[in-house]
Amino acid sequence: MTHLAYLDAGSGSLIVQALVGGVAGAAVAAKLYWRRLVARFRRQPTDQG
Amino acid sequence: MAVPDSGVRLDPGSFRDPGSRVFHRRGEVLRGLDERSARDWRALAVSDFFRDLLAAGKVCGTEELIPTPVDAPWAAVLRHERIPFVTHPYEWSYGMLRDAALLHLEILAAALAAGFTTKDGSAYNLQWRGVAPVFIDVGSFEPVRDGEPWAGYRQFCQTLLYPLLLQAHLGLDFQPWLRARIDGIEPEQMRRLFGGARRLRAGVLTHVHLHGAMQSRNAGASTSEVRAQLRAAGYSRELALATVRGLTRLVRRLDHRPGESHWADYQRTCAYSVPDRQAKEGFVDRAVAATGPGLVLDLGANDGRYARIAARHADYVVAVEQDPAIVDALYRALRDEGERRILPLLLDLADPSPGGGWRGAERAAFADRARADVVLALALVHHLAIGRNVPLAAVLDQLVELGTAGGTLVAEFVHPEDPMARRLLANKPDGLFPDYRLETFETLLAARGRVVRRLELPSGTRTLYQVVIGG
Repeated sequence: MTHLAYLDAGSGSLIVQALVGGVAGAAVAAKLYWRRLVARFRRQPTDQG
Repeated sequence: MAVPDSGVRLDPGSFRDPGSRVFHRRGEVLRGLDERSARDWRALAVSDFFRDLLAAGKVCGTEELIPTPVDAPWAAVLRHERIPFVTHPYEWSYGMLRDAALLHLEILAAALAAGFTTKDGSAYNLQWRGVAPVFIDVGSFEPVRDGEPWAGYRQFCQTLLYPLLLQAHLGLDFQPWLRARIDGIEPEQMRRLFGGARRLRAGVLTHVHLHGAMQSRNAGASTSEVRAQLRAAGYSRELALATVRGLTRLVRRLDHRPGESHWADYQRTCAYSVPDRQAKEGFVDRAVAATGPGLVLDLGANDGRYARIAARHADYVVAVEQDPAIVDALYRALRDEGERRILPLLLDLADPSPGGGWRGAERAAFADRARADVVLALALVHHLAIGRNVPLAAVLDQLVELGTAGGTLVAEFVHPEDPMARRLLANKPDGLFPDYRLETFETLLAARGRVVRRLELPSGTRTLYQVVIGG
């Protein structure tokens, strides 16, 4: 279900909640950043082509 | 939105969530819900956690009007219990803000465990019934979507956690910050205040610095994008609960006690003799009893001695005091006593809360909220007239305006030769207040009401008046 709350939760404010959630939370944040990094490298060749 | 009932007034403080709006009709507080919010409400209404919170008085009393009024453009209409006197977080003491924050977190934890969450996390979600905080934003509950962090976290930080950190770690009164900014304190402002070794204070590194850094790094990413990324990375409801537990532990640790203030000793140093005090207590007791139940405003309440006497007869007493440390001490004392009909309120009568937010109406000014059946102005007039240079007539105009026509004003006039008045006068040039005299005070009083009782205290330097306002 896609839904946007009436309130702007703030992107950084959402991510920091993973970081303050102990080891399990840090693992989620690490995974998020890893996926962002991988996505960037994957995207680049097509962007250039 | 046009509501086709002439008796309906939309609450000017309820518009941010278009799916859930508070309005007033014939003295009732109602909430209109759109289709989606109505579905959420019906799921909430049958949940055990919500029933338990209602039964414990932690959420304001709420019932659905069935059938839904046909003239209302809503999918459902709820009726809320009336909060006896609406206050804003910048009128609360430190202990009040902390207990309000803890209640918000307790409610969120209970909701999460039951598959719900709150859409926001604002200090304005809370009000007071005496010294018991109560969560009023029933429209804020919605089913939780797994894999999503709390949407209200930023608001919670800005309007509850950061003000607590400011006071607990830096000793700064938080109230002016909240009064000046309806959305609270931004992480970036906090980062500037918490540099150097202050980063190491409890909660600062994560909720202030990391939070601020994450905000600036992710400023270009939309929240829906980030929500999807977090869900894909495995963010779980257990993690959301762990965050709430962590916040609760942090807020519990922030148990700051405001420092001593000269007002704290006021009852001891203001030199009341025992006969004076007894006479004054008897006078106040009789005046409030004669007026009957209703709302009492005790202005300059100090340790709440006369607020407690008024509470014997009144429905509700708002004890107004300008010193944060005194209000906090009064709050803690009343909370320990289990007193439910006295609300401590932090307010400087020479600088009362103005209207705030959109068009200055989203948060009502103190003058627009305060209409009391009894106004107590004990040992107050000289502080305003001499200490703050407010003309005596203007002081009395204000006292009368805070009451209702036919209501009661109990005012104490401290004669210029009283030791307390002399102490205040000693700080001002000689002859600055030629009108500060008993005769002038009585003439001004008679022009604003009918004096039904007058008592000079045994010491001979203070006089009490019971006045029927406009009578």
